[in-house]
Amino acid sequence: MSNVCEEQIFSSIFKTNSKTIFNYIYYKFGNEEKANDAVQEAFVKLWENCAKVTPEKAKSYLYTVANNLYLNVLKAEKVRLKYADLHSNSITNESPEYVLEEKQFKQKLDNALNDLPENQRTTFLLNRVDGKKYAEIAEIEGVGIKAIEKRMHLALKALREKIDGI
Amino acid sequence: MQENYLAKWLNNELSETELSEFKKSDEYAAYVKIAEASKHLETPQFNVDEAYELFKEGKLNNKTKVVQLKPFKGFLRVAAVIAILLTGSYFFLNSLDESFTTQFAETKQVQLPDNSEIVLNADSKISFSEKNWNEKRNVTLDGEAFFKVAKGKKFTVSTDAGIISVLGTQFNVENRNDFFEVTCYEGLVSVVYNNKERKLPAGNSFIVINGEIMDDMVMKNGQPSWLNKESSFKSVPLKYVFAEFERQFNVKVKTENVNANQLFTGSFSNTAIKIALESISTPSKINYKLEGNNVLFYGEDTP
Repeated sequence: MSNVCEEQIFSSIFKTNSKTIFNYIYYKFGNEEKANDAVQEAFVKLWENCAKVTPEKAKSYLYTVANNLYLNVLKAEKVRLKYADLHSNSITNESPEYVLEEKQFKQKLDNALNDLPENQRTTFLLNRVDGKKYAEIAEIEGVGIKAIEKRMHLALKALREKIDGI
Repeated sequence: MQENYLAKWLNNELSETELSEFKKSDEYAAYVKIAEASKHLETPQFNVDEAYELFKEGKLNNKTKVVQLKPFKGFLRVAAVIAILLTGSYFFLNSLDESFTTQFAETKQVQLPDNSEIVLNADSKISFSEKNWNEKRNVTLDGEAFFKVAKGKKFTVSTDAGIISVLGTQFNVENRNDFFEVTCYEGLVSVVYNNKERKLPAGNSFIVINGEIMDDMVMKNGQPSWLNKESSFKSVPLKYVFAEFERQFNVKVKTENVNANQLFTGSFSNTAIKIALESISTPSKINYKLEGNNVLFYGEDTP
């Protein structure tokens, strides 16, 4: 049987999950420092309990520890997300109106994301940014897939309404 | 439109009719834009390798955090040593077997995890692993003890003279210098002595004195006499009788002109020392003198 206590397995768990745990906590609280701490804390806990947690359970264990760490403690701050500069080369081809419009849109999306309830924002970003499937998010959040679909739906709806200024 | 259709749409789960209907709606373009734009969002920098290095460091230097409070540095140093000693000894002791010891003139009743009972006679020690009890019912004995074993898996008593194994019964084991005795009172006991196994049915005793094997009979369903505060012997050299006497009364026995290998059959009380002295000396035709914690047995013809 493979064991989480084994250095190799532990390090591979670290490498596959740490970034998403960081993002997960960041989406929730918008605090980069605390997100970094949560990663460390969650893995310290996992290491301490490596004998009790099977490799299959390790992932949800990590998210639970990270989530519980700041539950009811940390006040959510503004989540700041950058936009990948995909159009950096082609940007000269766009009209100034388009560039301005695009900038405004991003600003609006940013605000709308921050106005979302924490669980909708987390679910939405885990799916869009981290490319997590609904089933995986359900596992992370410890709820059913149906609930995740609901959050996605509501998040998307709220974002559009905010951006279109309804 | 079905429930949560926006979520289904992102996941490409809409049926074709639903999709074309959705595409016709006014909001469709906006949704596409949001879905596209959100894909290109970036979270703050997070370096996995750096984080892992940090984690490994933290794992090693976990304790250094404490030292930061300077005013308590000296105190913390002491506290840390104590804490390390305490946790260390806790884990050390925890990993050790459970053990019970009796002093001279003391008996002790021990309950095992499965409700089996052990009564320890004076100056004896047993130990067993409480953690692994359910896998292995094994007790290590030095001295003498009476066992009342609950039914269940194989139960073994390990001594340096031999190994006794049973399934559920009552028996007595005595293992002292050159003296090894197993008496079965109920059920069946197996004794391995010198790599030879023998079965001991109820009412039988297996005795080895100085390497010499003897068999004896006792009452079935009985109990060893020491449980009733009496020590009894059947053709046992006097030196073992004296040794038992020392253990029961916590005294020192000296002899003069006494043949310590003379056989003794009889019993003595473990509570009344005067009566016990008489019980030993009269049938053996020797005299005794009791002074404080010292007893001298001497032969008839000693001047």
